[in-house]
Amino acid sequence: MIDFSFSPAQQGLREQAKAFTEEWVAPNAARHDRTGEFPKEICREAFRRGFMNTSVPKEYGGRGLAVLDHCLVTEEICTGCSGIGTAIDGNGLSQAPVILAGTPEQKARFLAPMTEELMFSAYAVTEPEAGSDVARVKTTAVKVGSDYVLNGVKWWITNGSVASWYFVLARVEDRQTGFIVPADSAGVVRGPKEINLGQHASNTVRVTFEDVKVPEAFRLGAEGDGFKIAMETFNHTRPGIAAGANGITKAALNIALSYAKRRRTFDKKLISNQGISFKLAEMMTKLDAARFLAYKAAWLIDNGTDNAREASEAKWFASDVAMEAAIACAQILGGYGYTNEMPAEKLVRDAKIYQIYEGASEIQKMIVVAKLMRTKVVE
Amino acid sequence: MIKDLMDIAGRAVRPFKRRAYGRTFVCPVCHLELAFADVDGNGLAVCPVCGAVISLEAPYGHAVPVVVDMEINRAQPKLRLHPMASHLPVGLFPVACLGAGVLLVASLLAPAAWPTALIERATLLVLALAVGLSPLTIAAGVSDWRRRYGGRPYRIIRLKLAFSACFVVLGGLAVALHASGAVFSPATGLIAAASPLELLAAVAYFATLAVNLVVVGTLGHVGGNLVFGR
Ligand SMILES: Cc1cc2nc3c(=O)[nH]c(=O)nc-3n(C[C@H](O)[C@H](O)[C@H](O)COP(=O)(O)OP(=O)(O)OC[C@H]3O[C@@H](n4cnc5c(N)ncnc54)[C@H](O)[C@@H]3O)c2cc1C
Ligand SMILES: [Zn+2]
Repeated sequence: MIDFSFSPAQQGLREQAKAFTEEWVAPNAARHDRTGEFPKEICREAFRRGFMNTSVPKEYGGRGLAVLDHCLVTEEICTGCSGIGTAIDGNGLSQAPVILAGTPEQKARFLAPMTEELMFSAYAVTEPEAGSDVARVKTTAVKVGSDYVLNGVKWWITNGSVASWYFVLARVEDRQTGFIVPADSAGVVRGPKEINLGQHASNTVRVTFEDVKVPEAFRLGAEGDGFKIAMETFNHTRPGIAAGANGITKAALNIALSYAKRRRTFDKKLISNQGISFKLAEMMTKLDAARFLAYKAAWLIDNGTDNAREASEAKWFASDVAMEAAIACAQILGGYGYTNEMPAEKLVRDAKIYQIYEGASEIQKMIVVAKLMRTKVVE
Repeated sequence: MIKDLMDIAGRAVRPFKRRAYGRTFVCPVCHLELAFADVDGNGLAVCPVCGAVISLEAPYGHAVPVVVDMEINRAQPKLRLHPMASHLPVGLFPVACLGAGVLLVASLLAPAAWPTALIERATLLVLALAVGLSPLTIAAGVSDWRRRYGGRPYRIIRLKLAFSACFVVLGGLAVALHASGAVFSPATGLIAAASPLELLAAVAYFATLAVNLVVVGTLGHVGGNLVFGR
């Protein structure tokens, strides 16, 4: 049985997220894009309305939303501004390892407070010399008494300068191990905000760990479990990333559609030219396809089924669709698509990151291939 | 306003920096400005601030630094003596300049109520401390450079060494002029300027202080970059 309809609860959630986006996110998108200021007040409102920390289980004060529900919220918010959306959603990426592998004490200590007041956390895995190839991570954790001492540099950490704690992947000798590191530990140094192509509202920084003492109680799982935890996290978060990209596609489609219906050239409306209208038809079709991939990947994991392949498919496909749609939107707007007085050029800049973070598109395809290698015949 | 001043200062030092550094590129991790000349025989440069091991090529003139490794587990900030020791000269020298400035104003306006004799003595003491302690700071810097940066001959370190030597020489000159009694009259603490020679000494003294203030400011600024990146 296949059912493509949203439940009343899901429909309600979408509408709430849409109202929040129209009231808070979209009107502030251009300002944060220009100033690069972190959207703390918007996050506070998102927190108040329950759009942050959505996946924290109910017993720790969260909403315990399903991944699919989270996708619906993220798609709406990212239609307003994916940079602000990333700032709001950043917590989810770092909370997932704790939800997946944390002890009840760790969850009570690090997740529960985040549902009581506005706080941030960050996922610190990438290093300057190790991004896609996570196995190369070099940060060391040396056991000294009942503590570990961490040394290393983490790079491009989203929400890195506002986080209260980090999920850090480090190696204990040769065993990749996950740690929760409070940001106020001595020896944690945060770099300045990086100036990126797009998503200027999102905060990306370097975080350096210099002789940082972490109690054994903050280790996630056993020594050597880190890589698995860090990768499993993505099965939960990649559908949401795909949904964020779909938000960009939706924004691009709506802006282009609205423009093409009203702009006149050669005595007729732009949209009456097939050269333009087919672009819109392609955007719509690809948006539908990308959504179904994202929803299916989310639905699988919500039902306890392995979704590694589907999550990767959804992520790379939605990212590519968003990039194409943003460029098509800019093209349809002509000169207005290139000026920063109109929303199209921001979409072009914002869309690019989806093909890079949380595993670049090539890496997603490698994951799909790995699954194919173990498949005799595709059903 | 401040941004405009920084722009002007930046434009003023650019040609000088060119000469000191040669062509430069920016560490893609911490944004420290490094010189092409910092690249060793293997085509690698290690960023002194963040430890990025950078392979550098410049296809068609565009510097393309690629991070190939990271140096971690280096001597840590809390063991770094130089950033702490540097506060002696960098902190004291401007105070001495302030004292000298007050004496200059007092000499021009001649307000009788100011304790100028005391200020003159205090200024000399602070100045002597700033300059006298600076060799300690420099020694700590050289030691940190060896420990943390492996003694690699970075352009930025050479600049610091050259400026440090400058600071000691000019500072020594200022202390000598001040202590000689030719600039300020020992009795009143005001600028003597009784003979052309004394006037010349006063001009030389204030010029030396001004130049050295720029020198120590540059040292502090460059040192800050080395600790915090940019
Ligand atoms: C804005 C931003 C926010 C980020 N936020 C976070 C964060 O919060 N936490 C975190 O841990 N990381 C974060 N990252 C890091 C991000 O996940 C990495 O940049 C990404 O995984 C790519 O790694 P890399 O940059 O080292 O590229 P590399 O691994 O060096 O790859 C370079 C290119 O080669 C491709 N490639 C690599 N290997 C192969 C292969 N075998 N076959 C084919 N192609 C290949 C890649 O797809 C990529 O296109 C962020 C990055 C950015 C830009
Ligand atoms: Zn660096």
